[in-house]
Amino acid sequence: MQLLCLEMDTIIRARPDPNLLGDDRVLQSLLTIEERFLPQYSYFKGVQTDIKPFMRRMVATWMLEVCQEQKCEEEVFPLAMNYLDRFLAVVPTKKCNLQLLGAVCMFLASKLKETRPLTAEKLCIYTDNSIRPQELLEWELVVLGKLKWNLAAVTPNDFIEHIVRRLPLPEDKLALIRKHVQTFIALCATDFRFAMHPPSMIATGSVGAAICGLQLDSADQSQWGDSLTDLLAKITNTEVDVLKECQEQIERVLLSSLREGRQQQQQQQQMQRGPSGKGLEEQDQSSTPTDVRDVNL
Amino acid sequence: MTSHKRILGNLGNGPARRNLFGPVDREQLQKEYQAALRRDLEEASHRWGFDFILDKPLESGDFQWERVPGTKVQPLYRSCMLDVDQPERPAEAAVKPKKRRLESPESEKENVPCSPERCPLKLEDWQKTPEKRQSTGLKRKQTNITDFYQAKRRVVWMPHKSGE
Repeated sequence: MQLLCLEMDTIIRARPDPNLLGDDRVLQSLLTIEERFLPQYSYFKGVQTDIKPFMRRMVATWMLEVCQEQKCEEEVFPLAMNYLDRFLAVVPTKKCNLQLLGAVCMFLASKLKETRPLTAEKLCIYTDNSIRPQELLEWELVVLGKLKWNLAAVTPNDFIEHIVRRLPLPEDKLALIRKHVQTFIALCATDFRFAMHPPSMIATGSVGAAICGLQLDSADQSQWGDSLTDLLAKITNTEVDVLKECQEQIERVLLSSLREGRQQQQQQQQMQRGPSGKGLEEQDQSSTPTDVRDVNL
Repeated sequence: MTSHKRILGNLGNGPARRNLFGPVDREQLQKEYQAALRRDLEEASHRWGFDFILDKPLESGDFQWERVPGTKVQPLYRSCMLDVDQPERPAEAAVKPKKRRLESPESEKENVPCSPERCPLKLEDWQKTPEKRQSTGLKRKQTNITDFYQAKRRVVWMPHKSGE
């Protein structure tokens, strides 16, 4: 007789709780407390002298890649960036320690959000062993102190379900919309211009950009009543103009990111199999800022 | 996350394993770490009116500290449980705050673990019934056995009235 272990190596997640998602008080509480977890200052204008915005982008990019490769939960990366920004807003940091800080922030965010968190050893390997696990653990304590142990920060991801459920969206498109929204949120987290925006605004703007990008709003306009933006603004008590501006900003960042990505893809494809890739031609035709329908396949 | 790969496609160019900003100055890093810890400890000393290095209350503090035998507290709070690498860590186990003066809202905010919608509620509780908080919180006042019963009865009494 052979014994087989059929236990799967799956991660068990709690199902979305309709009691929490359907209750207005939860959303209102999130909106009330979210500002507490914003970085105190736009730290490139004062606190930081050695670190420049492009370095934040570098470390953010690296963190996102690590999170992707390790298949972290979606909120780990935005949460880690929240820690990073809050730390940098109060502690002048040297460029050479920025990656250590990024690793510490991922370490903390992963421990808070995941059933199987990233290990210190793994994170150190991702820095190409430029830091040691012992250093990671030591600085974990320092970062925790500076964050006053307030780790359960509100992230844009916390709002996704609340917003999506309050919109008349086709059931079959929900998964796709969620995915796009999560992608936009991650994109925003890599860009310092969004660091001072309240999470609810980033979430609302991302939902707006996702729906527009998928052109779900034009397909059946009658069901929206108010325009999409008005409805979104109402859900998270955001001013319509501010929300519009935020959504446009997301679309601009998305466009430039797509453009850069395409260029790199082109280079890669040219190297791999010549310039006649099919996906490439399709992508070249996309000219609208939010034409992400091709992207998410 | 596959959508990330495409939209944020310009990111994943090359291996994720890489050193971004050159070598780390280990000595300097260690110095900064020690300095940061020292600062944190000083801040804590100031806030709690307790010298955590000498293990003594400060003269100027707002708190009245009272010694509690290590055997009477949870193992978690005994100094032997703390990391041996850090002998200077607070030996809070031995001494507990007896009574705390109500603090101003600013410093209060720091103490409250801003766990969501409870925050304002907790703040209220704290201001109205500081005693109860002491008895149910982690830093339990536990000087003698009757105190313990009192505290326990208060906790159980709330929902059921059956603890008496």
